[in-house]
Amino acid sequence: MKYLSIDQCDAFYGDQKVLECVSLDVDKGDVVSLIGPSGSGKSTLLRVLVGLNQPTSGRILLEGEAIDYKNRRSLKKARERFAIVFQQYNLFQNMTVLKNVTVAPVKIQGRPKKEVEAEAVLLLEKVGLGEKLKSYPDELSGGQQQRVAIARSLALKPEILLLDEVTSALDPELVTEVLDTIRLLAKEGRTMIIVSHEMGFVLEVSSKIAFMDAGRIIEVGEPRKILEQPDTDRAREFMGKILRH
Amino acid sequence: MNYTIHFSQVVEYIPYLIGGAWISLQVAFLAFCGGMVIGLFGAMAKTFGGRMTRMVVDAYVSFITNTPQLVQIYFLYFALPEVGILMNSYQAVLLGMTLNAGGYLTEIQRAGFLSVRQSELEAAETLGMNLMQKVRYVILPHIMKVLFPSLSNLYILMTLGTSMAAIFGLEELTGRALNINAETFRSIEVFSLTALLYIVVTVVASLLLLAVGRVFFRVKGKVF
Repeated sequence: MKYLSIDQCDAFYGDQKVLECVSLDVDKGDVVSLIGPSGSGKSTLLRVLVGLNQPTSGRILLEGEAIDYKNRRSLKKARERFAIVFQQYNLFQNMTVLKNVTVAPVKIQGRPKKEVEAEAVLLLEKVGLGEKLKSYPDELSGGQQQRVAIARSLALKPEILLLDEVTSALDPELVTEVLDTIRLLAKEGRTMIIVSHEMGFVLEVSSKIAFMDAGRIIEVGEPRKILEQPDTDRAREFMGKILRH
Repeated sequence: MNYTIHFSQVVEYIPYLIGGAWISLQVAFLAFCGGMVIGLFGAMAKTFGGRMTRMVVDAYVSFITNTPQLVQIYFLYFALPEVGILMNSYQAVLLGMTLNAGGYLTEIQRAGFLSVRQSELEAAETLGMNLMQKVRYVILPHIMKVLFPSLSNLYILMTLGTSMAAIFGLEELTGRALNINAETFRSIEVFSLTALLYIVVTVVASLLLLAVGRVFFRVKGKVF
């Protein structure tokens, strides 16, 4: 039985089909990267997993159990196991860094505030922001905000972390600090699905890469194989373009 | 022109006037708070509600914003007793001003709802927040910050608007000024003093609002 199994999922934005018969298996501890051109459905797949977009057909199985995204309770349970980090960080602007990280565990999961805050401080220290607990998001750089967003998602103790182009909105200089944080998480054996255009990084951390185009997963396999000797023409064309610079 | 300005006769009434100002402040504060609550639910209904709910709220807002406040309070004070609902002037004015504020605040807060970043709501959604939690932790703090200047303006306008209560015999600041005027005939002194007291009240209110905005909602702003 697979840990996470995406089974022939379709999804639509209005009339437009954005995912077509997508299937993907993820083992515990896997770091799976989704690569491919813009609009190929990478982000949509992550959004489907956390229930921001509904799959119109197909199933998503967590440890053999199908998630029913139309059922509140099932969705809530799924959201306790997935956490997503967005390209634009999406931090709560009205809260301090510490509050951003603690609000969900305290107010939604109802865990004791002291315990959560102590954990949050450790998490923020781990991402290098132990000094910024009392700052507001608009006082931080993009890279710092993104690391807060990562800490916020980890505070819920998710089993699977979804990273949606988390470095795409950052200055090249700031990319490194965020990637270092993710490397650390990969080393800890955390299960992650990463959408990224940083090919060097993807090659380094992934245990598996899926190449997507036009809403389909075209090719899945070993990182080096997909990046350097893909089987399909479409993937070869894409890699040729991006590896040239 | 043989009017001699003569404040001495009026001075003894100052504590009486200040007592009136206190009533004005009370009415404005309570009506504003009540209006904020009505406005919050109105805005939620208009943003997230079904067709019927939205129509009811729209009708309420249209009625409030298209009829004079004075007529609304007349209705409560003089028309409702005909069907057996009796209110004293304080209750009628307070209820009238609350309902009136509720109408305007529905529209103001709805605009605030629309200005909440969709991305923050998505983050809240994936963190597991339900609608009420989103309102409480994400939407309200955001709209309080964005709307703070317009809310402050409305609050000052409402403080001044309480002078309408004098018509219904409520002895707030203006009502008491009319009483003193009738007794002393010192119109210039009485009404200039009354105006001065209104200025003091609104300036103090503005300063307080500024402090509240700075401390609780991270609003940057100046009084003058």
